[in-house]
Amino acid sequence: MSLVPQVLRSLKNLPPFPMVAQRALILLNKPEVSIQELVDVVKFDPAVTANILRISNSAYFGLRREIHSLHQALLLLGTQELLKIVIASGATRVFSAPTPGYFTERQGLWRHSVSCALMVDLLIRELSLPDQATGFTAGLMHDIGKVVLSLFVEQKFHEIMNLVEQQGVSFQVAEKTVLGVDHAEMGGEMARMWDFPDRLRLAITYHHLDRPEAYTDDLTLLVYLADILVMMFGQDLGMDGLAYTGYPEVLRHFHLREKNLQRILMNFGSAWDEAQIFFGLMGNQDGVQRANRG
Amino acid sequence: MQIVVGVADMKISNQSQQLVVTHALGSCIGVAVYDPHVKVGGLLHYMLPESSLDEEKGRQNPYMFADTGIPQLFRECYKLGAQKHRMLVKVAGGSQVLGGPEHFNIGRRNYAALRKIFLKNNVLIDNEDVGGSKARTMYLEISNGRVWVKIIGQNQVIKDL
Repeated sequence: MSLVPQVLRSLKNLPPFPMVAQRALILLNKPEVSIQELVDVVKFDPAVTANILRISNSAYFGLRREIHSLHQALLLLGTQELLKIVIASGATRVFSAPTPGYFTERQGLWRHSVSCALMVDLLIRELSLPDQATGFTAGLMHDIGKVVLSLFVEQKFHEIMNLVEQQGVSFQVAEKTVLGVDHAEMGGEMARMWDFPDRLRLAITYHHLDRPEAYTDDLTLLVYLADILVMMFGQDLGMDGLAYTGYPEVLRHFHLREKNLQRILMNFGSAWDEAQIFFGLMGNQDGVQRANRG
Repeated sequence: MQIVVGVADMKISNQSQQLVVTHALGSCIGVAVYDPHVKVGGLLHYMLPESSLDEEKGRQNPYMFADTGIPQLFRECYKLGAQKHRMLVKVAGGSQVLGGPEHFNIGRRNYAALRKIFLKNNVLIDNEDVGGSKARTMYLEISNGRVWVKIIGQNQVIKDL
């Protein structure tokens, strides 16, 4: 029996996307973002501002001076970097609920999402592509569908896992077979309801490359590749493990050989260490929730 | 008491109350060695097969690679009185994503590198749980040398090695 009607009904109660992050997402579409526009997005949210300063001062950005104000952060980091930080700080609330269908650890999904965002950035650097906040954001949001689908996956976990183990299909295909909808589609649906920019929505929907449309945008391919590499790295792996399909054509498309992947994983280790501050954002839920009520 | 081994990390112990653990192995490999006579054990979590990728990195952190980490694992245990012929060797991890074996196969390469080193040095693997697409957490109990893996999943399947 398909759970689709039940799943879709659960979307009716989807809470709004956090306001600061929502407004920052709109700025992703603009070729140029002014300092004033960014300041306007965050200025009424002291908790997000505090997080922005914490992140800006972390080892990950390697600034030699301590940052005390938003303006200073903007000047030293630039708008695209700051946009990433604003979106990450603003979006934490969406990830605050546990996702027991996928992760045994309460913060598992958040940690995986941040890892994937960092990995997209690393790939962008490795491939010398223009570094826009859109890549980081797509990495951060790619699995957002798991927030809602978790409940249903938990109910049917054994059925889904049996399919994976007995038929060798990916976890996503097994979800689709058992539930009638998978986490990528679900994420796409949520992105539509939350008015995410189109490119972001499509990267979420197609991040497992199960449709030909997935190949129309490098952003989607980058998110896919980052997700796979993060799984290989290990650490915050979910119960779905590495049960997703590796497509060699993506490596060929980016002219990546195995040595490149090894080097990327090696460098990711240090980035991941330095970026622990992002993981810690979850420890600060009270502040974030208070801020979102405003 | 739990001692956590991170990614590209290693811990050696002869403290009987300690449980050494490494979390969520993907394509990385965990190697646990133990000498029951002196109750000395070590757990290495390496990420990549060969330090020729970046020799400087291999010097900074030998635990990142199989060819620099594995010899170090044995050497550090010898320092605490372990002897090679008594040591039990257990291996876990080396998972892969689905699809053909020709790509994204760092997990398999990691395992091959370990086999090569062990063959050259006459080390036998006593037990292993490698490959597949599962996430594994690996434990080594110093008091008795018990090694087990937990397959991350709802059943939390535990497998003794």
